[in-house]
Amino acid sequence: MTSPYRLLGPAERRRYWRAYAERTIPALVTLALIGAMTAPLFVSVPAVPDFALLAVFVWASFQPGLMPPWLAFAIGCVADLLFALPLGVHATLLPVTVVVVRIVDARFADHRYAFDWLFAALVIAGFAVLEWQLLAIAGVDGPLAPLLVQAGTTILAYPAVVGLMAAIQRRLQAGR
Amino acid sequence: MDWPPARRTSYARREQNLALIGAVVTGAVLATGLLLLVLSRVNPAYSTRLRIAAVSAVAPLWSTLRPPFDAAGDAAGALGDYIDTVPRARRLAAENAALRRALQDRAALAADNAALHRLVRVAVPSPGLIVVARFAGASSGSYARTAMIAAGTRDGVFPGQTVRADDGLVGRTAEAGAHATRLLLLTDATSRVPVTIVRTGQPALAVGAAGRLLEVRDRGGAEVPLVRGDRLVTSGAGGLFAPQIPVAVVVDPRAEPPRALPFADPATIGFVAVTRAYLPMPDLPVAAAAAVPVPREARRR
Repeated sequence: MTSPYRLLGPAERRRYWRAYAERTIPALVTLALIGAMTAPLFVSVPAVPDFALLAVFVWASFQPGLMPPWLAFAIGCVADLLFALPLGVHATLLPVTVVVVRIVDARFADHRYAFDWLFAALVIAGFAVLEWQLLAIAGVDGPLAPLLVQAGTTILAYPAVVGLMAAIQRRLQAGR
Repeated sequence: MDWPPARRTSYARREQNLALIGAVVTGAVLATGLLLLVLSRVNPAYSTRLRIAAVSAVAPLWSTLRPPFDAAGDAAGALGDYIDTVPRARRLAAENAALRRALQDRAALAADNAALHRLVRVAVPSPGLIVVARFAGASSGSYARTAMIAAGTRDGVFPGQTVRADDGLVGRTAEAGAHATRLLLLTDATSRVPVTIVRTGQPALAVGAAGRLLEVRDRGGAEVPLVRGDRLVTSGAGGLFAPQIPVAVVVDPRAEPPRALPFADPATIGFVAVTRAYLPMPDLPVAAAAAVPVPREARRR
């Protein structure tokens, strides 16, 4: 905003607030996906993809400014509380994911789809192993296998989440 | 000339400052995350109130969203029932006759058992039904296998109560808010249920493994090998679960530890019943008055 708020006309004020509201959309979409993960569907294997990780990963790549590490931390706290995990597992690993995505995006400009998917797969696998370790630190000792199964479904769910986020991103840019 | 003079900051310097602040904030965020983890280990209960708030926010949402889908499912089921009526009626009549015979035997046994209980003066607590509720949420990521129901302390549900369905044990209540409760399912990696193996009478623990099956661990008594089809029922040890609630059936006796399939599958259960803990919590012993004089500094004001 270049001129004081009082000097703005009604249309400009609406645009001003709308621009602010749009900045919250990545966070809101991510929270909605986390909420969807608590649907009362019971599957015998941990087949539900970790949408929290995927959403944070994709937004950190599409809109780094709108998915800073502190926001990933807040989202991670909500995810831990809703998934009945020790508080701090997602709250630590999601900011780490954002930092890793930022570093890799700064180093490699290659954004072909296959490269992105491969990179996502590596991040997701690393996430599963680190999650295992952090759970052990928090006092929950368990096998690695369920986490790897979930990592597999998360990798498979990547294209769908990228498609959804890309559609939202295009809508946002078209609105401007 | 204007006053104050226009600030002359270079763009690069501003960027540098912002990057520095960003790095500091990121470091602080990561440190906070790790601190939270350590706190979780030291005191797992510190986030209970936050968890209850999160569950209370989500459970009403799902219990509101669920009915249309349930209605659609019920309609499809009703159509199937209508087509299947005659064979089903015949099947049920046969089953009913068999069950009536079994019931007669059971009534005799129950009377026998009650007489024996009276003879040796066994006190059998009767766990009362608190509420019947429908699942309103689940978390099936990674290790945690929990479900939510839209009933809470207002309905008399508190942590540490038994949750069962028609088929068998479902789990226990873990965290209760005013209107929503989180249930710990049998398959959760932290779930431990004291069971008895019906055929051998051995005590054991049915341990959740974050998958479809339970692990049968810590079997006591003689080393009798398990066989496929061995039934596990609650033993009543610990006082939370009443004895003789069906828990699981052994499906893989050769594995180490052996694996058992729970009777109650949350995917197919509509409603669960929350019942009181089998034995009431013991009263804390009243501390005897100290016989020695207490120094003034140690007295409570």
